[in-house]
Amino acid sequence: MTSPTLERALPERLAPGDRDRLKRQVPAGVTLLAFIAMLVVCGAIQPVIFSATGLNLVLSSIVPLVIASLAQMVMMSIGDIDLGIGSFVGLVTAVSATTLSGTPLIGVLILLALIAGYGVLGALVHLRRVPALIATLGASFVWYGLALFVLPTPGGTAPDWLLAFAAWTPSAFPAPVLPILVITAAIWAVLQLTPVGARVRALGSNAAVLERSGRSALRTRIITYVIVGVLAVLAGLSLSSQIGGGDPTSANDYTLISVAAVILGGGSFFGGRAVAWGSMVGAVTLGLVSVLLSLLNLSSNVQPAVEGGIVIAALAGRLLVGKVLR
Amino acid sequence: MSTTTTAPDLVVQVRHASKTYGPTRALSAIDLDIRAGDIVGVVGHNGAGKSTLMRLLAGIEPTDSGTVSVAGRSKSARGGFPGARMAYQETNLANELSVGDNAYLSAVGSPRGARWRKHAEERILSRLDEMFPGHGIRAATWVGDLSLAQRQMVEIARATLDDDLRLLILDEPTESLTGGATEALYDAVRRMSAAGVAVILISHRIREVLEVAHRVVVLRDGAVASEHAAAGLTEDDVLRAMGGSDVEIVLPVTGAVSIDVPIVAEVPARDARTGTARPIQARRGEVVGLAGIAGQGQEVILAALWNARERARRRVKKAYVPGDRQRSGILPLWNVADNLNITAMRSLGRWGLRNTAAEREVVDRWVHLLNVRGGVEAQMAGLSGGNQQKVIVARAFASDAELVLLDDPFRGVDVHTKNDLYRLIRDEAARGRTVVWYSSENAEMRHCDRVYVVRAGRIAAELRGQEINEERIIAESFVIADDEEVAE
Repeated sequence: MTSPTLERALPERLAPGDRDRLKRQVPAGVTLLAFIAMLVVCGAIQPVIFSATGLNLVLSSIVPLVIASLAQMVMMSIGDIDLGIGSFVGLVTAVSATTLSGTPLIGVLILLALIAGYGVLGALVHLRRVPALIATLGASFVWYGLALFVLPTPGGTAPDWLLAFAAWTPSAFPAPVLPILVITAAIWAVLQLTPVGARVRALGSNAAVLERSGRSALRTRIITYVIVGVLAVLAGLSLSSQIGGGDPTSANDYTLISVAAVILGGGSFFGGRAVAWGSMVGAVTLGLVSVLLSLLNLSSNVQPAVEGGIVIAALAGRLLVGKVLR
Repeated sequence: MSTTTTAPDLVVQVRHASKTYGPTRALSAIDLDIRAGDIVGVVGHNGAGKSTLMRLLAGIEPTDSGTVSVAGRSKSARGGFPGARMAYQETNLANELSVGDNAYLSAVGSPRGARWRKHAEERILSRLDEMFPGHGIRAATWVGDLSLAQRQMVEIARATLDDDLRLLILDEPTESLTGGATEALYDAVRRMSAAGVAVILISHRIREVLEVAHRVVVLRDGAVASEHAAAGLTEDDVLRAMGGSDVEIVLPVTGAVSIDVPIVAEVPARDARTGTARPIQARRGEVVGLAGIAGQGQEVILAALWNARERARRRVKKAYVPGDRQRSGILPLWNVADNLNITAMRSLGRWGLRNTAAEREVVDRWVHLLNVRGGVEAQMAGLSGGNQQKVIVARAFASDAELVLLDDPFRGVDVHTKNDLYRLIRDEAARGRTVVWYSSENAEMRHCDRVYVVRAGRIAAELRGQEINEERIIAESFVIADDEEVAE
């Protein structure tokens, strides 16, 4: 009862691989368009932005947000969400402005201990089945308390090497592009090209697959949380280099902006998706909002509202394009 | 019976294995021996203990008492007994990962080096080529982008990725496969058997089991009811052994709805041969079937019916029974009553408040009528697949919907349950409901008044009453080369 022509024709009709691939790229693509549009508007108002120094100025304040968004992206790729990342980044700036510049060795040890703390958090979430949302929310208060203990009022001085990095302005290219691209590429490579990355994404997509293949979901979750911790420390150091010292509350708004950046970049609340490049573009786009507002001579107080508008518009655009493609 | 038992080594040895979940005894004192190269069919109703037995054999769960040993080991490692692999009915794949990455995660002995992905992709593709020639699957495609049939192929192929495969368990492997792919799968199973792999085949398609298996094990109420050599065994024999002595296929009087009865639902469609417009219509009290090969656009038609605006100003109330109950059908953490009620509660309540007494009555009636195991308070996730399906079907019919859309809801449901549900559909149609029913099982279409055979999104044929039979449906489902040329 088989017809050979049908057997061959059917799967091809059902699996238009290129179309599917395109559909996957759409979310980040829409965000990229928004990013380019904003850049063009900014450039039209203030052409100096397109020079290396101009881009340097614009992008340098965005670097910590990009790194924090990549951390959030890793977290969301396993279906968890990190509500403590803002406080954690603030804590890292406090450590950086005090211990790290005073007694570097102890500072490094403290940072490593904080990363280990993330691993413990992951184990807790997995073993006790505490929702990540709750665990990281609780952790955010712990991070904040520790930060206040280390540095009660904003101040201190970042280590010299961090300050030197912040002051580095090569003429050939805008310096902030380097950490942004390198870290994004590294995270992309880890998640997409390595077996560990496949396990992380599988944990978010269908944890049963991992368990049934004899691999430890616990270990995978801990690895994921440690990666998040490492990235959050890098984000904190980068922020500390920007503000020249430490401030426990300096990164509070990173928590929700990083989630928005991941969603803008094509991530999902349900896990399984890990779009490093998209999250990077999402973070840069959101970071550009304040630049655009200041160029338009609008009060920076409306910044959150504009950011929210962009998130909603980009998501609506993404749904629209998705519908057209289907 | 074929004698493949020249190799006397036992791959599976189960002795007095029992398993209970809470108050329900899923398995009681099971004994089972399977030798290398055996193909054993395991049949039984939903809830007979098949899935539980398979979980024990795969080593995912331990026995409460008794012993299970597979390939000489009685203790399973993490991820199951070494050498025992299972292709799951609901598939064990990560949808957001590519076919190759899934193969990497699933395969035993994947290398960790730089070529891990390339290696996994080559491995799964060569296995797919071998088992399902012409599968059309690319290794880089996300599993979520594959059709149901392709996903099933990947699931089966990935379960065989073990160089030291001793036992392969196939749980309803052909539910989503086309006829050709099914044949190909069973050819591959026979080859594996010849190479010494023991294969367990679980299927509700008893004819397939009898064709492929050497032996048939019948489970009933958590125990082995009987074991038979497959040679000379008939479908009726098996059904009777399953406890199906009272199974009779109730054929209704169909095709009797007159033209005067108002049309409840209509969507535009085209004729497959001529390309001219030919709407799909359903009249009040009619059971309309959508047949044809899976994935030819039947779901699209159902979706169009669901979204259609009525000609009349009056809104037609509709209910939808999904086929993929895990994904879109059940609220796993709610109990049976709430799952059943969720559509009906709005029409039962008044002034926006729920009428709990009336709800209770409706739930009791349906749970009793369809004999849902576990009762009203049971948690949905704890029910067997067939019982979950009953609840979902009851949910649609308990509402006051005039039009009920069925999206192949009876895949993997046992004969008894199916017969109950078929009768229910006819009774409800007789009360004036309209049912549009897509099924991948052609035999089911005999319960319809009228059947549209769908091919490539178009209507290949419209069959009525006595014209509805498997041969006609199959004949119309497949593309005939000359035919196509006329259409172009």
